[in-house]
Amino acid sequence: MGLIANYNLRSMIVRKGTAAMTAMGIAMVVAVFVMTLAIAQGFRSTLVASGSPENAIILRKGSTSENLSAVLKNQLPIIESLPQIAHGPDGRPLASAELLVIISLPRVTDNQPANVPLRGVGPKAYEVRSTLKFVEGRRFTPGTREINVGQQALTRFKGLALGSDVKFGSATWKVAGIFTAEDASFESEIWGDVDLMMPAFQRGGYQSVTAKMTDPSVFESLDAAIAADPRLDLKPQREPEYYADQSATTTTLIRVFATFVTVILSIGAVFGAMNTMYAAVAYRTREIGTLRALGFSRLRIVTAFLAESVALALVGGAIGCVLALPVHGLSTGTMNMASFSELAFKFRITPGLLLGGLLFSALMGAVGGLLPAIRAARIPVARALREI
Amino acid sequence: MKFINLVLKSARRSKRRTALTVLSVAIAVFLFSALRAVLDGFNAATEASSSTRLVTIRSTSMIFNMPTSHVDTIRSVPGVQDVTYANWFGGIYKDPKNFFANIAIEPESYLRMYPEIIVSPEEKQAFLEDRTGCLVGSGLVKRYDWHVGDKIVLKPGIPYYGTQDYPFTIRGIYKSGSSAVDDQTMWFHWKYVDERGAVHGQVGWVVALLNNPDAATRVSQLIDEKFANSPNETKTDTEKQFQASFASMLGNLNLLLGSVALAVVITTLFVAGNTMAMSVRERTTEIAVMRTLGFQAVTIFLLVVGEGIVVSIVGGALGAFVARLIVNGEFLQAAGGFIPQFGVNNWNAVTGVGLGAVIGLLAALIPATMASRLKIVDALRRVA
Repeated sequence: MGLIANYNLRSMIVRKGTAAMTAMGIAMVVAVFVMTLAIAQGFRSTLVASGSPENAIILRKGSTSENLSAVLKNQLPIIESLPQIAHGPDGRPLASAELLVIISLPRVTDNQPANVPLRGVGPKAYEVRSTLKFVEGRRFTPGTREINVGQQALTRFKGLALGSDVKFGSATWKVAGIFTAEDASFESEIWGDVDLMMPAFQRGGYQSVTAKMTDPSVFESLDAAIAADPRLDLKPQREPEYYADQSATTTTLIRVFATFVTVILSIGAVFGAMNTMYAAVAYRTREIGTLRALGFSRLRIVTAFLAESVALALVGGAIGCVLALPVHGLSTGTMNMASFSELAFKFRITPGLLLGGLLFSALMGAVGGLLPAIRAARIPVARALREI
Repeated sequence: MKFINLVLKSARRSKRRTALTVLSVAIAVFLFSALRAVLDGFNAATEASSSTRLVTIRSTSMIFNMPTSHVDTIRSVPGVQDVTYANWFGGIYKDPKNFFANIAIEPESYLRMYPEIIVSPEEKQAFLEDRTGCLVGSGLVKRYDWHVGDKIVLKPGIPYYGTQDYPFTIRGIYKSGSSAVDDQTMWFHWKYVDERGAVHGQVGWVVALLNNPDAATRVSQLIDEKFANSPNETKTDTEKQFQASFASMLGNLNLLLGSVALAVVITTLFVAGNTMAMSVRERTTEIAVMRTLGFQAVTIFLLVVGEGIVVSIVGGALGAFVARLIVNGEFLQAAGGFIPQFGVNNWNAVTGVGLGAVIGLLAALIPATMASRLKIVDALRRVA
């Protein structure tokens, strides 16, 4: 294989202009592939990061999201008294009854009103969600009209800076602190005291209860306990599963779009690769004849040209990955179909995604190189040698 | 013009190569036209939205309702000619995946104020007379194979509509008369939903028709002032602004789709440029012979450029034609109704062919320069 591999590699270098153009065509396809899927990846991981395996979110039976759920006030103590719920050092159960509403705030970039999720939370919310960290200020004081603002919400919407007054729900609220949540969706939210949010939005009950379990393994018994209690028409879900479901609609939409665009675009690039390889075979007819006369089998010729095409495509794929890399970490926002509000997220390029891009480019090389390689192998030796 | 035969001859020289180039340009133009059409779909919905209709929602957010008394207050504002109201019902048809807009309306005034909803007088009458009747869009009918007279059941998706199912009878099928209204919506009686729900006397938004579109700003201020400092403050905008802010929530589509389209064009430039360069290199001797015969360098340049443009216009026309043929309203149902209808129109197709020509021109520039600068002696001495 040494000789033939060397031969193909050198031939590629001889025709570096054409090879570079073909590789760049494939690079563009891979770059589009990686970038669009990085959006889906970022969106999904932002929501998935919101869930902790130790937590369960309890919604009304049949509700697919918090917006569509309702938990009655008198159901909260029943949930809190379940033995599967963990307790804090002060002996109080680690459960947060929550209300999620949407308010409209002007965006920083274009001053257009956008839907911002506002979460009313219980006093234990910050113990239940341990990833939250304050970068400025402090937690809101329960019983006062104070709010905490997520880092992403602060940068995307107007008038949320520490200490400013925000008007919604026929009252004025003071921003007491800014928090981060390790890139989770909570960073796009505003948090306040649920007991003040309910009257402000004329709501008579909660929408969900998020609770820390004593151990992730007690989930089944928690599920059974809630199902067994006739007073609770509720159903717990593991938090990571819940948030993965929440991301499904938008992620699928982006993936469908990305696949549609890249598959069609890749056909164009494959045609390019095919042209190049056909030309390569035509230029080297005599050389191929010589190789065959020396005793190299047809199979060897096919694999050699196929390998050349795949190698060329892989170079393109690698360039494409490099071209896509700068978008990693770029922050953007879109409407989350499941909550009807804006969710900020970052483009996220994972090693798996890059590997996928490389595999995709190899596939394009293989498809584009196959027919020319077969043609190369089929050239009759005598005629090939006679050619000038 | 007398060289057109020569151009066509050289394009036919390597049929396979020309075909592959034509196809790759066709694919680029196809993608470009489809992307352009999606963006146009969003813009068209905004453009066609009326600036004589004002939409009033709760200032907090449109997910909150307001009492029906707001409707009469808005009716009394000077400059308002007609008023109607509606509620987002958010019902689920069999499975949450079957997403489509289903909206409770005050039927008479709503159909009066939205002439874009085109329905026959008989069907309209049947709808108005049946309190559990509904009007469905022609697109929805195709999607679910519905017929007039069919019963459909929606599960309420929002808690305050209670938990029991809502049966409806299809009384009519409407067609959309403008991009402002899509053909994927189900309309039914506000009263029916109000009676059956858990909360009564609530409307989601109020639409007011203006006497004079120039008064939009003043009238919307007047409306919002009426409810200032009440528990249900409002925010009023023209339908156009409303639609624009809704589209902007999906994120920066212009940038996203624009960069993808740019990548498409660049990819094709690489592919087509490469092919042109290959074919020029192959014809080195031939070009040298032509120069010897007295062809000017500039003629050679134009011949190569002409070949590039011809090949890519053919590709562009093919791509635009296919896009025009298959990318229509039913395309991309996967979007689940949040994306306005779109289809490649003639204008998108023409732009696509134009783009094809530009790709051909740019791709041929370097090879054409190569060909026209050829040193005759060197080229003739070379063995191809």
